[in-house]
Amino acid sequence: MADTHEPNAGAGGSGGFAPPPLFFERMQRLQTAVACGTPDRVPLSLVMDLFAANVMGVSYPDFVSSVDVAGRTMLDAMERLGDVDSIQFPTYAPDVLGMLWLAPMKVPGRDLPEHSQWQMDEQVRIQREDYDKILEMGWSPWFGQYIGKHLGAAAAAGQALQEAGPRWTMEYMKKGYVVFSPLTVDHPFEHIAGARTVKEFTLDLFQIPDKVQAVLDVIMAEKREQTRHFLRAVGQPGLGYWVGSWRTAPEFLSPRLWNRFVWPYMKELVEIVAEEGGTPVLHYDANWDREIERLKDLPARRCVLELDGKTDIFRAKKILAGHMCILGDVHPAMLTLGTVDQVKAYCNRLLDEVGPDGFIMAMGCALPPDAKFENVKAMVDSVQR
Amino acid sequence: MITSPLAQALGDLEEDKAILLVNDKLAKGEPALSILEELQAGMNIVGERFENEEYYLSELIYAADIFKKAGAPLQEDLKSSVQVSYGTLVLGTVKNDIHDFGKDIVATVMSSNGIKVIDLGVNVEHQAFVDAIKANDATLVGMSCLLTTVFDDMKDAIQTLKDAGLRDQVTVLIGGGPVDQATCDYVGGDYYCKTAQDGVIAAKKVLGVS
Repeated sequence: MADTHEPNAGAGGSGGFAPPPLFFERMQRLQTAVACGTPDRVPLSLVMDLFAANVMGVSYPDFVSSVDVAGRTMLDAMERLGDVDSIQFPTYAPDVLGMLWLAPMKVPGRDLPEHSQWQMDEQVRIQREDYDKILEMGWSPWFGQYIGKHLGAAAAAGQALQEAGPRWTMEYMKKGYVVFSPLTVDHPFEHIAGARTVKEFTLDLFQIPDKVQAVLDVIMAEKREQTRHFLRAVGQPGLGYWVGSWRTAPEFLSPRLWNRFVWPYMKELVEIVAEEGGTPVLHYDANWDREIERLKDLPARRCVLELDGKTDIFRAKKILAGHMCILGDVHPAMLTLGTVDQVKAYCNRLLDEVGPDGFIMAMGCALPPDAKFENVKAMVDSVQR
Repeated sequence: MITSPLAQALGDLEEDKAILLVNDKLAKGEPALSILEELQAGMNIVGERFENEEYYLSELIYAADIFKKAGAPLQEDLKSSVQVSYGTLVLGTVKNDIHDFGKDIVATVMSSNGIKVIDLGVNVEHQAFVDAIKANDATLVGMSCLLTTVFDDMKDAIQTLKDAGLRDQVTVLIGGGPVDQATCDYVGGDYYCKTAQDGVIAAKKVLGVS
C-alpha cells in the first residue's frame, strides 16, 4: 500500500506540449523563492477547495463528488482572482484525507447538509490490540484490511485523483499556472493518532511508549522505501511534496514526547524527499514556535515552511532567513471576518518583514470556504505593489 | 507551599503512585472530599507547569486521565457531599460542526479542575444551550468550533442566550482551531481561550476560585 496519498495527483510533466512563457516566468519566481533568493516579485500560492465552489456558484455536493468538477471549478476561480502564480493541488476530493488520518470523511450532500463543509468523522477505530497486529502482520497488510473495513471512499478518491491529477495539472499549465505541491508524504504519527483519536493515542504515548514506537518504526520502515520509490516513479525534480503536521505540532506535545515520536520521523521523511530531488513543503498547522530553531537541521534552501497563522511567522523569518523559504500566513479568520484594509495591512507587513527574499505569499493552511472574495483578492493583489 | 504526596504524585504524572495513595487514604478512613481536594491540588500543579511551558497538552490529557482513575473510588462517597464543584459549565461544539477533539479535552480538563461539565456533544442546536443552562443552573458556557463556516452559528447561539434572557447570567468562553480574539468579538463571547488551560483559568476567575 502506498504510503503517500493522492499518488500522481499532479505528476505528468508537460505531456508533449509547450507551456506558455508565463508558466516558466512563474516557475522561476517560485524556484527563486524556494532557494531563498529574491525574485522579480514575491510569488503567490493558494490552496483552495470549497472556496472555489462558492466563487463559481457550484454546489458543494457537485464539487466534492467529482474530481473533474472540482478541477474545473478551482481553475475557473484562479482565473477570476487574477495574477496567481500557483496552486498547490490541481483538483480535490476531501474523502482522500481519510488515507492520512485513517478516518472517514463526512461530506456535503452525502453525509452532511448540502451547504456544510466536509469534516472528519473521528472515532476510536483501532484498539491497543491492533498495535500487536501491526507488529505481527506488518503495516501494509494490516492497512489493507483497515481500508477494506473503514476507508472505501478514501481509496476510491485516491484512485480518482491519481487519474485526474495529471490531466488537471496540464490544464493549469496551459493557462500558465504552476501546480506547486500536489503530492504528500505522511508522518506515521498522523495515521495512528487519527485512527486511535488524539486522547487515546496520547495516553498510549505515556502508558505503552515502547510499543507505540515499535509500531511507528514498522510503518516508517515501509515508508522509507516506498517514498524513495514513489519520488523516482514521479520523476519531476523540484516538485513539491507536503510533509505535513497537524497532530504532531509541538503545541500539543511536550519536548520529551515530541523528540521521540515526531521529530526523528519528520526529519527523515523530509531528508528523503530532498535527497530524491523533491521540494519538501512543511505544511505545519498549529503553533510551531518552540521548535522553529530545529528546522535549521533540515536541508538548506530546499524546503518550504508553510504556516497557518498560529506560529509567529515574523520570528520564524528571523531565525530561518537564508535557510528556508516561508509560505503563509494570512489567517483564515481574517479572510473570513476581516476587512480589505486589514488584509492589505497584514500582507504589507508580510512583504516587508518576511519577504522579499525566500517568501511566498499565501493564506494560512487553506482558503476557508466562506472567505470574502474581496479579501482574497486583496491578498492576491498585494504582491503587485 | 507544602504539597501533599498525593497532589505531588498527580502533579508529577505518577499514575500508579497516585492511585495507590488514594486507595491507602480510603482504607485509613480519610474523607473522600479531602482526598478529592488533594487531587485537585495536583491538577493545580499540572496547570502551573502548563503555564510555565514545562507541560503541554499531552500532559494535560494524561493528568486528567490519572485524576479520573484515581478519583473513581471516591465517587460513591462524594454523592453525599454538598460541595464538590466550583460551578457548572455547559459545553458543546456549535451547530453544523461535528469536531469533538478540542471540546472533549476542555471537558476533561475542566472536570478535573473542579468544574462540573454538562457536555452537550457536537452539532449542538442553539436552544440546547439555553435548555441546559436552565436545567443545570449553569453560569458558564463553553462553545467550540473548528470551521470558520460556523462562526455565524456560534454568534446565533449566543444571540439565542440573549433572546432567552440568560446572557447576563452566563459567561461565554469560546475556543477552537480558527478562533481568535477577533472571532470572539464578532460572535459576542466573553473570553477567547487559546488552550484548554486558558479555559480553566477564565472559569476559575469568573467563579472566584483562587
